[in-house]
Amino acid sequence: MWRMIYSFRAAMRFGGYKPKPLTPLSASRWIKQFPKQDRKLAVHLLDNIYYFSEKRTQKILVDQNAALMKRLVNSGLTPKKFIYVSVHDAGSSSPVMLNLLRDAAGLERLGCKFVDCRDSMRLNKTMNEVGVGALIYVDDFIGTGNQFCAERDFAAKSFIGTFSEFLVAPSICEEAYYQIGERGIEAFTGHVHYKAERPLHENSTIFAEEEKERLELVCKGVNNKFGLGYQKMATMVVLYRNAPNTVPAVLRGSLNQTPFFGIFPRTTDLPVRKIG
Amino acid sequence: MPTLKPSQPPVPTIIPVGELRHLTPDEIKPSSNNPRHLFDPDQLLELKKNIGEHGVLVPITVYRAKGQTKFSILDGERRYRCVVELKREGRGGKGGAALTLPANVVEPPTKIAGLLYMFSIHNFREAWELMPTALSLKVVMEELEEHDNRALSKLTGLSDAQIERCKKLLTFPEEFQEMSLDPNPTTRIPSNFWIEALPVLDLATEQIPTISKLGRNRATHKLVDKYRDRKIKSVIHFRRIMEAYELTEEEPATRAKLMRTLEEFFLNPKTETRASFDEFVIDKKKVQNALGACEGFLAQLQRFKLTYTTDDEERANLRRALREVRAYCKSLEQALIGSDDPEVPHD
Repeated sequence: MWRMIYSFRAAMRFGGYKPKPLTPLSASRWIKQFPKQDRKLAVHLLDNIYYFSEKRTQKILVDQNAALMKRLVNSGLTPKKFIYVSVHDAGSSSPVMLNLLRDAAGLERLGCKFVDCRDSMRLNKTMNEVGVGALIYVDDFIGTGNQFCAERDFAAKSFIGTFSEFLVAPSICEEAYYQIGERGIEAFTGHVHYKAERPLHENSTIFAEEEKERLELVCKGVNNKFGLGYQKMATMVVLYRNAPNTVPAVLRGSLNQTPFFGIFPRTTDLPVRKIG
Repeated sequence: MPTLKPSQPPVPTIIPVGELRHLTPDEIKPSSNNPRHLFDPDQLLELKKNIGEHGVLVPITVYRAKGQTKFSILDGERRYRCVVELKREGRGGKGGAALTLPANVVEPPTKIAGLLYMFSIHNFREAWELMPTALSLKVVMEELEEHDNRALSKLTGLSDAQIERCKKLLTFPEEFQEMSLDPNPTTRIPSNFWIEALPVLDLATEQIPTISKLGRNRATHKLVDKYRDRKIKSVIHFRRIMEAYELTEEEPATRAKLMRTLEEFFLNPKTETRASFDEFVIDKKKVQNALGACEGFLAQLQRFKLTYTTDDEERANLRRALREVRAYCKSLEQALIGSDDPEVPHD
């Protein structure tokens, strides 16, 4: 009975997860995969998820961006001097977030500029044209910060002019904060994801050690190498359009979703329909 | 402000106008080019030791970019890095106070001033891709309408050779320049490729009618495709083509054959640089002759059985001659280390 109640609750909370919408039935099925003694722990794990629905994501982006714009305008810059930069490949989350923000905040009409971080030539030309302004990177979630910093550092070789740098993202991990700060990039975010709020992280005390060990074993059974996610970050942030690769494997499930079925499979975890 | 005569306007002060403040490292933003590996670690260690003992005595120069809460460094990156490291090590200032840096806060630099500062950073940096530098140099040349190498060298601190190389890169259309700005190192075309390919492209488009008809851009694409297809295994192999061209100067028949081979090289995606041009450069023959010379030299010396001689002067002469031989052999041996397909060096 309790399982059904929690399944309904999970479906209500995470129903809008796009890669695979959650139903009460699938939530119940997910819980049932755990050994009986760990099922309540699995539910407790779900309680600690920081879920960013599309609405919430958009609100954070728009609100944080508004706060940033206000500061920039007060410092004497006009929106025409703002260069919004997407990071990572086309089709990845950053361009999607940028589009979401652009449309919701009417950035185009304000005369802001948009550049892909990988297009160094265009970035160079745009910065040269603007001269003095602000570079605003937009992304959905920053985990270790390594990927973001690597892309930004490469692009930095082509920087021209006097620019302040900012990052707008719904959620940023504690680990990334140092790296980003080291570069003097100021983050505008709705949520800083601390290690202490991740039940399976070694720094967290949400679960008892013994409980943590048991769940870690289940995670390793699903994915031996990345049981606790990339670099054992064990993050609990899930965005409506995908779960980061830093979440524990029990949330994502096995590749192709067998033998372990995930509650938040990444798009790359789902089986691909055969062509032809 | 001093004046020359009562009728003349005031002489502008030459003392840098800036507000002197004491900033903690947290209030400062490092250079956007992240010069983590810019400086000689030994020198930095010496400076750090000095700062640890006496603090920062000479103020750094910073500015605040519009909207930024932190101050960006214009001058004093090394002092800043030392203080950051000292802070990480848990060292404090005098009397246990927080470590701070005296800083002259000035107005943000103009685009050109910022660029020139960036060049000064690039000069410290090793393994820096040349293309971003070339693009920055282009802005300097356009904004200041200055194209003379010596003047540009003075402005930027780049060497004459570096400026020349940058200028060569800038002769290529943007679509090719972009290939050197590819963030993916596995698909990026190194800047050296364009510099080495330039004389070959000039030669082919000027002297081979079919390549001329093909057009310079399409000919360049053919070379890029070959490089990506590993048919040009190293960018320095372009030199082989130019060497072959020079060597055949007085042999019209061989020169004609070379040009046909070059045409084939451009038009046939399967042809490889060395396989195509090795026959024109007499490398092998030279090496074989050198091998023979080594063997003959050793055999002759051994035949003399010269382990001692009574004539002091002659002995000194022989020792000097042997030292010269040894030095030359050593330098030659060093030069020949490695293979013919070295890792493509980045600028």
